[in-house]
Amino acid sequence: MNDAADRLGLITTMALADARAMYPALAAADADPEADGALLVAVADWCDRYTPLVGLDAPDGFLLDITGCAHLFGGEAALCRDLVERLARQGLQAAAAVADTVGCAWAVARYASFLPPAGGGRSVREADRVGVKSGIVPVGALRDVLLPLPLGALRIDMATVAALAQAGLKCIADVLDRPRAPLAARYGQNFVRRIDQALGREDESIRPRLPVPVAMAEQRFPEPIGHEEDVLGTIEHLAHELGRVLERRGEGARLMQVALFRADGKVHRLQLGTAAPLRDPALVRKLFADRLAVLGDECDPGFGFDMLRLSAQVTERLDPQQTGLSGSGDDPADLAHLVDRLGARFGLRRVSRLEPRNTHIPEFAVAAVPAHAAQGKRSFIPGIEQDSLSPVRPTRLFQRPEPIETVAAVPDGPPVRFRWRRVLHEVTAVEGPERIAMEWWRDNRGNQLTRDYFRVEDKEGARMWLYREGLFGYEVKEPKKPNWYLHGLFA
Amino acid sequence: MTAAEAATLSRLRRAVAEIEGSDLSVLEAGGRALPLGAAPVDAVLGGGLALGSLHELAPIAPLHLGAAVGFALMLAARAGQGKPALWIQPDFAATEAGALYGPGLSALGLPMERLLLLRVARPVDALWAMEEGLKSHVLSAVIAELTEDGVAADLTATRRLVLAARDGGGLGFLLRHRISPEASAAATRWDIASAPSRPDAFGGLGRTAFTLSLVKNRRGPLGRWTMEWDHHERTFSALSVAVAKTALDRPALSPLVRAG
Repeated sequence: MNDAADRLGLITTMALADARAMYPALAAADADPEADGALLVAVADWCDRYTPLVGLDAPDGFLLDITGCAHLFGGEAALCRDLVERLARQGLQAAAAVADTVGCAWAVARYASFLPPAGGGRSVREADRVGVKSGIVPVGALRDVLLPLPLGALRIDMATVAALAQAGLKCIADVLDRPRAPLAARYGQNFVRRIDQALGREDESIRPRLPVPVAMAEQRFPEPIGHEEDVLGTIEHLAHELGRVLERRGEGARLMQVALFRADGKVHRLQLGTAAPLRDPALVRKLFADRLAVLGDECDPGFGFDMLRLSAQVTERLDPQQTGLSGSGDDPADLAHLVDRLGARFGLRRVSRLEPRNTHIPEFAVAAVPAHAAQGKRSFIPGIEQDSLSPVRPTRLFQRPEPIETVAAVPDGPPVRFRWRRVLHEVTAVEGPERIAMEWWRDNRGNQLTRDYFRVEDKEGARMWLYREGLFGYEVKEPKKPNWYLHGLFA
Repeated sequence: MTAAEAATLSRLRRAVAEIEGSDLSVLEAGGRALPLGAAPVDAVLGGGLALGSLHELAPIAPLHLGAAVGFALMLAARAGQGKPALWIQPDFAATEAGALYGPGLSALGLPMERLLLLRVARPVDALWAMEEGLKSHVLSAVIAELTEDGVAADLTATRRLVLAARDGGGLGFLLRHRISPEASAAATRWDIASAPSRPDAFGGLGRTAFTLSLVKNRRGPLGRWTMEWDHHERTFSALSVAVAKTALDRPALSPLVRAG
C-alpha cells in the first residue's frame, strides 16, 4: 500500500466496495500471482548488485545477506536508503530493515509503524526523504525492538494470530517471557521456533537464489555505458582483478559469469564454461567477445549498463606452468583455448569428442561427450578386430536406420539387390552375416530383435552396412517377412 | 614441353604468384607437403598435398559421399603428428548422410580419440570455425562439411581460409556434398567416387578402393587414379593411373576466376 492510500485511511484487508466508498476513483486490477512472481524474481535479480546472497521471500519480500557488503555503500543506513530510492525511481514502493536476524528484519520492515518514535529507547528509527520507513536495528537491541510489535510480525499464520488474540495475547511482549512448553503445546512448535529465530536463539540462514560465486569483481559507472568496446574493456579490467584473486588461491575459473546491470533494472547474465582453468584477462575478453557476437540483439543495452560484475562460479586448481623455450607448439592449453572459443560461440555441448562405450550394440558403442568433459579414455570396441581387407564398421552411421526394400535368394540369406532412397543397387560383393543380438540383460521387455549385419558393395563400388531385423523362422515367422535397414556408409 | 617452355611457364607462374601475393614456396616442388605414399600421385602433386593450404573434396554423386568422407579421414589419419583433427559438421549433414561413427573411424585408421567434433547450425558458422581451427596451430587437419553449394564458400571465403591455413600450417579440407561450379582459392580440388574393390580370395570385400580425379592443381598437372587404402598400414597404393600432360592451356580446365 502506498503513502497516498495510507493517508486516506485505507487498509489492505478492506473490501473493494468499502475502499471505493472512501476513494471512488480507485483503480482495481485482478490479482496476477504469476506476474507478481516474475516481478519479484526480476527485482531479486536486480538486488544482486548489493550482495550475491539474495534470497526470495515470497510473495512480496527479499532477504539480503549484507554481511561485509554494507561498507561498500557507505554503511547500512546508506545502503538501505540507496536500495529504497532506486526502487522508488522504478515505481516500486519498498520498506527495508537491517537487523541481526532474518526474523527481526522481517518484522521491522513490515511493522515499523508500530515502533515508538525515534529517540525513545535504544531503538533507532530513521525516516528518509522519500518518506519510506527504514529501520536499522542496532546490534543487541533485538529484544527491545521486537517487544512492542504485534504477533503477526513473527511470521506465523493468521489462524495462530487469531487464536492468540482470543487468549488475550496481542503483541510480542505478551508472549516473549511466557513458559515455552505450554505455548508450544497449544500453538505449535513452529510458533516457538519463530520466536527463537527472531531473537537469534536459533540459527536461520538465507537461502541464496543463485549459486554463490567463488570470487567476483565488479565495476560501477556514474554514467551508464552502452558500447560493446566499453563493456569488453571493463570485462578485461575486471578479469585482471579477478585473476589476481584467483592467482592467490592458485586457481583458475572453469565457469564464469558476467552480469550486466542495466540502468532500468534489467539484468543480463552471460555464462561461459571453459575447457581448462582460466585466468588470463585477454582470453577472457576474447571469449566474451565471441559470446556477445552470437547473442547480438538479445543482449540489448537499452539506456546503458551502470554496473558490471564478473564472477568465477566454478574454479579448479591451476598451477603456474613452465612454458617451453621453443615457443608455442603442441601446448595442451592451446587446444583447450580453441575448444573454449568454439564453445563460447556455438555452446560447449556442440564441441565434442567421441568416446567408446562398453556395448556391442552399434548405435550405442560410441558417445559424443562434450570436449571439455571428455576423459580421452580408450576401451575395447567389439567387432572391429575382425579380420577383413576392408574396415568392418562404417564411417557414417544413420541415427535412424533407413528402411530398404530387398530381394534375397533365400529369406535368411544376403540381399541380391536392394532399393534405398528410390535407387536400385545391385549387390556385387557381400560379407556377413555378423549377428548382433540385443542385450537381453538390459532390455527386460525382450521385444528387441536380433540383427544380421551385411557389408555389401554395389556395382558402382559404394559400400554400405545393411541389416535384417529378426531371425527368420524364429523371431519372424512366415508369412511375415523380416525388415531390412541400411544403417551406415563405408568409405 | 620443351625446356624453354617450362622455363617460361615457371616464370609466368611466379609473376602471377607475386601479383596474388601468395606464398611462393607453395609453387616450388618439394615444399612442405604431406606425401600420400603413392608415387604417381605424389609426383603430380609435387611431393604431396601442400601443407598450410586448403583442399576441396567432393563426391561425383551423393552415393559416393562415403568415399569422399573416407578420403578426408585417410588424409587426416596420415597428417598425424599426434595432433588432433577437427571435423565440422552442419546439423543437416548428420541427418542427411549420417553422423560420423567413432568405431568406423578407428577401423579406417584414424583413432576416434584424435578427432574433435563440432556441430554447427549454419554453413557460415562452419567457415568461421574452420578459420579459427586453421589459425590455431594445434590441429593437424580441419575438415568442414558443406551441404549446399554456392553462397557460403565463394572465392572470398575460401581465400580467407587459405590465408588462415598458411598462418597455421595445418591442412584444411572443404568437403562439399556435391560438386560446386563456384570458383575457389583452394590449392587442389578433387572429385571422388567409390570404385569396386578387388575381392579377396573368398569373394569378400577387398581393400577400400576409390577413384580420385584431380580437377584443379595449382602446382602442376591434373590426373585421375584408382587408389586402394590399406587401413592397417595407413597407406595408399595406386591401381591405375591416368595423368594429364602438363598443359599450357590448363587455365581453361580449372574454374575461371570470377571478374568483379
